[in-house]
Amino acid sequence: MSISKLRRWGLILASLGILGILVLQALVFFWVPTEATQGIIQMIFYVHVPAAIVGLYVAFGILALTSVLYLWLGDDKLDQAGVAAAEGGMVFTTVVLLTGPLWGKIAWGTYWTWDPRLTLTLLLWFIYLGYFLVRASTQNPERGKRFAAVVGIVGALDIPLIHMSVLWFRSLHPGPVVMKPGSPTLAPQMLTTFMVGMFSFILLFLGLFALRFALEIASRTAATRARAAQT
Amino acid sequence: MSYLRQIYAIVWKDLLLELRTRERIVAMLAFAVLAGVLFNYSLDRTIVRPQDVAAGLVWMTIVFGGLLGIGRTFQLEAQDGAFQGVLTSPAPKDAVFLGKTLANFVLLYFVALLVVAVFMLFFSLELGGSPGVLALTLALGALGFVALGTLFSAVSSGTHMGETLLPILIFPLLVPMIIYGVSATSRLLAGRPVSEIAGNLRMLGAFATLGVGAGAFLFRYVVEE
Repeated sequence: MSISKLRRWGLILASLGILGILVLQALVFFWVPTEATQGIIQMIFYVHVPAAIVGLYVAFGILALTSVLYLWLGDDKLDQAGVAAAEGGMVFTTVVLLTGPLWGKIAWGTYWTWDPRLTLTLLLWFIYLGYFLVRASTQNPERGKRFAAVVGIVGALDIPLIHMSVLWFRSLHPGPVVMKPGSPTLAPQMLTTFMVGMFSFILLFLGLFALRFALEIASRTAATRARAAQT
Repeated sequence: MSYLRQIYAIVWKDLLLELRTRERIVAMLAFAVLAGVLFNYSLDRTIVRPQDVAAGLVWMTIVFGGLLGIGRTFQLEAQDGAFQGVLTSPAPKDAVFLGKTLANFVLLYFVALLVVAVFMLFFSLELGGSPGVLALTLALGALGFVALGTLFSAVSSGTHMGETLLPILIFPLLVPMIIYGVSATSRLLAGRPVSEIAGNLRMLGAFATLGVGAGAFLFRYVVEE
């Protein structure tokens, strides 16, 4: 896919995502019923959970996959896609880490607790950070790309173990209400609102991913041209 | 040369180098003892009993002290380009990694046992009923730690941030080792039966397998020029 095509798709998807988020806000404020026990604070769920699913699963999944494929095939495009996914993932994980404590302060009475999902999100954020730090601190860019891919792969392999260990340590977080065996325990209107949120966040992520991907390709082409012009 | 002999050659070279220079081992041991001294003054014995927090202190000392030594795995060889020689030798890259990891393991395990001995002395710890299982717990934890440590030491020494990058890369990954290692150690020190920590040992074993396997496979991409 050419850069201009990527850019066009990125713009379309990101715009649809933003539009969806506006619809989500309308639904949250004017349509969906307030949850009985938690009250108004539960509304943060419609932003928090989609951001978590995108940042933790979609973005990190792409990052892990592109890291493996990059080491295997050595195609520069794969590394560029990895960078785009990691950057998006870090943004969405930051949203999760900001919205979670706001809810936790009221629902649990504390901003932070050592719940497995909180811990895992925080550690994942630091794995994303490591991914960028090894790239930024390597003089030889080819080397930096391989280092970053290794960070991505080892992170992906270790995450199941981290997950099991922190789960074993203790759990406070509300259990799954959407993705669980049997039917969801959300009221139909809440489920609809959640789904709108989920699709908007995925569209927004894919749009940002495509835009960032196009930018990375363009900036590397420009850098190569600048180097060629110098010599 | 067979694969095992290649690994052995690397282990022997690294250990001999360490035996002659004694740089890393002295740094790690001095760190461990001095950390024990500082821990002593950081605990108010009228409020906490050192026995209650000893397991955590032992593991944190092993991790911080270990990073001092493991972070310098490639330092000495990098200085005069000797590591290029190791890489151009016919030994496959995974043999180099396993050799380096094993040599680091010998060093770190020695430090770990000494940390326990020093803390026993400083904080009048009891070893509990099964010192053999405690030694196994430390060995499994240390193996996973040195495997990831050796891999990421190769990464960090290839960057201009150097050893300062190592904790950022490795601490998030060490959470399983700390959780299962500390809980097993504190139960053993408290004299609880071994059956209680069988699950912990399995998970530490899984962590070590993951570290050694991932390291052996990925090391070639880290040292590739």
